[in-house]
Parts: sequence; C-alpha cells; structure tokens
Amino acid sequence: MMRRLARFNVVVALFPISVLGQVTVEGRVELPESHSAPVVAKRYEIVTHGGVLSTQPPLAVVYLAGSFQKPTSHPRKQIAQKDLTFVPSLLPVQVGTRVEFPNLDDTYHSIFSYSSAKRFDLGRYRPEERPIPSEVFDTPGLVILRCDIHEHMRGLILVLDTPYFVVTDAEGRFRLRGLPTGHYTLNAWIDSKTTHERPVELKKGETLQVDFR
Amino acid sequence: MISASRSSKRGVRSFRTKLLVAMMLVVSGLMAFALYFAQRHVTAAAQHDLQQDFQAELSSLDKVQELRNAALVERCGALASRPRIHAALEDNALDLLYPSAKDELRDLMEDEGSQHSGPSLHAKFYRFLNAAGAVMSPPNPKNIGQLSPSAETQLILKKLPETQQIGYIRESADATDETVDEVVGVPIFSTETGDVISALVVGFEPFELIGKGAGSGTKSGIWLDGQLHMPSLSKSAQAALGSEIAKAVTNSASAQSNFTVTVNGAPQLLFYKRLNPNSLFPPAYEICVYPLADSMAQLHRLRWRIGGAGALLLLGGFVASHVVAARLAVPVEKLELDSEKNRAQRKRAETALASTSEKLKRSTRYSADASHQLKSPVTVLRAGLEGLLTRDDFKPEIYEELSALLHHTHRLTGVIDDLLLLSRMDAGHLQIDSQPVNLSQIIEEWLDDLGALPDSPEVKIEKKVPPDLCIAGERRYTSLIVQNLLENARKYNRPDGLIRVSAARNSGEVVLTIGNSGHPIARDAQEHVFERFHRGGTGSHISGHGLGLNLARELARLHNGDLRLVRSQDDWTEFEARFLIAAPTCGAAQTP
Repeated sequence: MMRRLARFNVVVALFPISVLGQVTVEGRVELPESHSAPVVAKRYEIVTHGGVLSTQPPLAVVYLAGSFQKPTSHPRKQIAQKDLTFVPSLLPVQVGTRVEFPNLDDTYHSIFSYSSAKRFDLGRYRPEERPIPSEVFDTPGLVILRCDIHEHMRGLILVLDTPYFVVTDAEGRFRLRGLPTGHYTLNAWIDSKTTHERPVELKKGETLQVDFR
Repeated sequence: MISASRSSKRGVRSFRTKLLVAMMLVVSGLMAFALYFAQRHVTAAAQHDLQQDFQAELSSLDKVQELRNAALVERCGALASRPRIHAALEDNALDLLYPSAKDELRDLMEDEGSQHSGPSLHAKFYRFLNAAGAVMSPPNPKNIGQLSPSAETQLILKKLPETQQIGYIRESADATDETVDEVVGVPIFSTETGDVISALVVGFEPFELIGKGAGSGTKSGIWLDGQLHMPSLSKSAQAALGSEIAKAVTNSASAQSNFTVTVNGAPQLLFYKRLNPNSLFPPAYEICVYPLADSMAQLHRLRWRIGGAGALLLLGGFVASHVVAARLAVPVEKLELDSEKNRAQRKRAETALASTSEKLKRSTRYSADASHQLKSPVTVLRAGLEGLLTRDDFKPEIYEELSALLHHTHRLTGVIDDLLLLSRMDAGHLQIDSQPVNLSQIIEEWLDDLGALPDSPEVKIEKKVPPDLCIAGERRYTSLIVQNLLENARKYNRPDGLIRVSAARNSGEVVLTIGNSGHPIARDAQEHVFERFHRGGTGSHISGHGLGLNLARELARLHNGDLRLVRSQDDWTEFEARFLIAAPTCGAAQTP
C-alpha cells in the first residue's frame, strides 16, 4: 500500500497536476442567512451589507490554496451583462484568465473597476461590440465590477492563484475533484471580508469531507 | 378826549396783536404737528419701502438661489453618486478620485463662455473632503480650480455634513483683490455602508444681490467671519461697518434685521440676512446698504413744503387777523367812545350833584344860622312881652295887644323850631334814637291837648286805636308827627265837624289814619301839600306856616315809615302815616 502510494507520488511529480488530480474534497459551507425572501428564479446579485460585498442569496467560493503552476494559455471566462446585472455575479477565476464581458442587454454598458487587483475601464459599448470586450486578470484578489452607466450594478471576480476552486450551491454544498495530493489549505470565501481556512491533507483516491461552519 | 382816543387805539392795537399772536401760535402748533407726523410718516415709509426692496431682492435672490441650489444639489448629488467616484472612494482608489471627478465634473468646471446672463452654474473649483472633514489634496489643482492654502483651510469642516451645506470663503489673490466665493457642500454616501464617506465641495461665484442697473448708490456685500466684503467701499469703511455688523449679529438672535449706519458721512439703511442658516460653514450674511439720501431729500422737500404752507397760512392768518381785528375793533372802538361819553355825562352829573349838594348845604346852614339868629331875639322879645304882661299899670287894651303879640312870638318860636329841625334833617344831622314808642299813648295825650287849644271849632272826635300800639322810633319826633296831623285835622275842620283817628297793625307796620271833615284841598294843590311853606290854598285865617306836613313826612321817612294823603274830597280829608312795629311791646306809659 505504501509502495503504491510512493509510486503515485512519483507519477504526480511527472504528470501535470490536472491530469493527476485524483483527490476529491466535498462538504458544506455554512452560508450566512439569506436577507431576502427566497426567490424562485435564482438570480444572484452582489449586495453590500455593512460595507461587505457578497452575493444574494449567499454563495461561497471554495478553493485550494497553494503553489500551483500558472496556466500557459489564458483560459477564457465570461461575465455577461443581462437585465442590468452581471451574470454570474460572482466569478472565481485563476490568475491569468481572460474574462469577456458580453453585453446581452439592448443598452450601453460601461464596465470598469477601480479595485487594486485589477483596474480597467472598458468604456461604453453596445451589445454588438466585437470583439467582446475582455480583460486578463493576472493579480490575485477581489475585483469589484461596476457599470458607469448603471450605478447599482455590481459584479465580483475573485482572482485566485489556484486552478482548484468551485462555487457552492445555494445550500453551501461543494465538491472539488481532481485535486493533487499533499498538504494544502482549503479556503471558503464567503464575502469580501470573510474567508474561512482549513488545512487539509489530500491523499490519493480519497474523498475528503470538509465542512465550514 | 384826545388821550382817551389814543388809549382806545392802543387798546385796539394790543387786541389785534394778541389775536395775531394767538393765530400764530395755533398755526405754528399745527405746523409742528404736521411736521412731526410727516417726518414720522416719511421715515417709516422710507424704511418700509427700502425694507420691501430688500425683501424683494432677497426673495428674488432666494428664488434664484433656490433654483441654483436645487440645480447644484441635483448636479452634485448626481456627481456624488457617480459610480466612478464611488468606486474611487469605496474601492480604495483615492488616487483615481480627482482624475475621475475631472471627467465627471467637466461640464461643471467648463466655462460656459458668453452665457453670463443667468445665474452661473459654472464652478470655480471643487474639492473632496475626507472622512475627517479635511480637504483631500488634489494631485493636480490646475484642473479643479486653484485655491490658496488659506482658502482651502476655510473649506475644512469639523465633520462631514449629512445634508447639503452652503458656505462662503474669502479668497485673496493679492493684498488688494479679495473675492468671496460661495461653496456648496454635498455629502457622499457610501453605497455599501450608507455612511457619509466624503463630501464634495464646489465653489461658485456668489450672486450679486444688487443688479448692475441699480445705480442709486445701493451697495451689497457679504459679511463673513467678522469681516465685510463690499468692494465698493474703502477698506477702512468696510472694517468699520464689519465691526458694527458683528455687534448687531452677535446681539440679535434673528437671522435678519436692519439698522441705520453712517457711511462716508451719509446715513444709510443697512440690512443683513443670514445666507447660510444651519450650515456647518461659518455664518455668512448678505449685506445691503441703501442710501437714505433719497428719503432724506424727500423729507427735506416735505419739510419745505410744510414750512411754506405754514408760512402761507401764517400770512393768511396775519391778513385775516388784521381784517378780523379791524372788524372786531369797530364795536370795541364804539364801545370805547360810548363809555367816553358816559364818563363825561357822569362827570357833569357829579359836578352838578356836588354843586347842588353844596348849595343845599349852604342853604341848610343858612336856615340853621338864620333860625339860631332869630331864636335869641324872639326869646328876648317874648321875655320882654311876658315881663310887660306882669305889669299892672297898663290899660286893658294894651294887655290884649300884648297877649296877641306874645301869641305871635309863640308861633314864631314854633316856626323857628320847625325850620331848625328841618335844616338839621336836610343836613343829615338828625339821628333817630330808635326805641319802642307807645303810639296809642301819644295819640291819647294829643287828643287830650286838642280840646284845650284856644279858638278851636267844636268837632267830634272818633277814635279807634287799640291800646299799647308799639312802634319803633324816637318819642319826641313821632309825637311831633301825631301832633302835626291832629292839629291840621282840627285847624282845617268845619264847625260841628268830625275827626276820625284809627290805628291798626298791618304786617310789620302800624298804620295810623287821621281824617277830618271840612273843605277839601284843591285838586291841583293836593300834590304840593307836602312841600315847604305850602298852605294848600286854605284861607289865611287859619294859623300855620306851611312847614308842618313837610316836617311830618320827613320825620316819618326818617323812621323808615311814610306819610301820604289818602284822599281829600267831598268834605273829607284823610292822611295815613305808617310806622314800623317795634319788636318788644311797650312797657308802662311814658310821659312826653
């Protein structure tokens, strides 16, 4: 058994992590109570409460912090503007990801951010704008998206220095698959001011149960 | 007479003067009254007008300011809620605050060029205040309006405002050129926390309250922090006024008021009104100075007018008083003349009276003297005759002759006595020693004597006298009255005639009536019977000297009574004497 494990470790060292990820972590993040009445059509908005940005209904981002290789190519993600909201309102991305901001409304949007993680200003653009305005996010941190035209619009991009992250469901349940083995810290980002941390030891083929509460 | 007319003229003149003075007093009083009220009215009206002016200006200013402030608030509010500014403040990107604002406030800062007609919304500068109320220093002040450090410190607030604030700051480019800017402070609320995280302070040029057209010397300015900013005044005048306003502002709780000041030697009405009530910025007051010269001139004119009217009135009064005095003087003068005539007449009468009295006195003295002079020889004569009668060596005819002569000397003595008494009465020397006198007794005595008289005709006597009738008088004189009347009644009676004597009390008086039969007194002689030496046209065979009735009446009058002829006709003559009743009744019978 031990020998098998040792051999696997060698294999992990030789193969790309994504390929080697065998470990699964699952569990539940205890989310703050929803401040609004439950809605049928789940539309997640960024709300501020006491200066803290979070989604409403609450969602959390669970990610594995550690030192991982940066992607060689820019992965692409999208945050659309639809019905004067950002969809999704919370998007975790790996450092170096290019995020496109397609305008799905029939009005102008002017997406910008003054966040220190990424300052950008896409300017006013119409739905037909091509190529779709996009930005590469290469500094970890929380980026607050605003629309210069629609001041209520908020979007969050959580730029993470890890490829292993997932957004919980509305109940806070999550499952991270294909994780590398080893000692890491599992983080649960709940809002702009709150991130829970758990040190985890990931063993090959194991499914680790981690609950944040 | 000349001096009298002169004095009367003087009197008329003084009357006229008094009338004139009275009229002048009334007119002057009216004028003073009119002046007082006119002055009060004009002053009040001027103040009222100016106050209304000021209020109108202020209200128009208020309206304009309200409009502008509304526009500014909306604009600044919109700006303050700009996502970029919020992003800069909330996302910790303060370095991007002013650059973002520069874009967002571009139209606010951009000069609208020639559009200077309306109130300008063009901002001169803007600044953001941090959470402590201090000014966030801009990276490049050029784009957002240069401010001197001293001006920038005036923007600092103790705390961030919850509402829009109006303030004023003083900015001096150099020592001589000083301007006052109006600033509007708008709070910026965090969209995340709802707290005030910053404030946007925008500076504008303040309004000119008084338009350029109002060139009537009206000045406006702003009083700020103990100093007055009124460029049309000299520095020293501004400083002086500033301290006066400071006094008024600190003493008065009201946000607006007015008082009178003197600027450059001319009286002015100064109004002040708080421009930024309830502001966190230092209090600023709108100051308006209205020259009172106009109202003073109006007052001056009015004074002249009233004075002129008064003078005219006075002149009219003068003329009228002359006319009235002249007309009034006519009867006065006439009165004066009449009284002059009266005086002369009185004088003449007095003179006449004096001379008459003198004559009377002289004649009285004369008759008195004469009586005295006569009395002694008659006494000597009588004594001589009585002496002769005592001799017995004469013939009987001589005795008869002597007796007759003696009788005549008796008569002469009687006449002299009567004359003496009358002259004493005429001279007013006879005094009545009034005592109660028993009239009944006197009548009785004289009736007794009547029978004893010689050569008296046989007459019947009817007497109806109550006993003890008491009158007030002196006995010898009342007795004389009764004697005279009874002697006349006997003397002028006819043979077998009748004498009727009656006396009665009648309301405080005793009325004695003595009537006799006989030839009546001639009708035309009746009114003269009481005159001296009048004998009633009776025959000379009857003894008498015509003094008796006169004497009797004078004596009766001296006793506050009277004597009158009741009637004399148809064989009957009747006299009536009246005496006052004496208060106490008479005592025992007195002898004459």
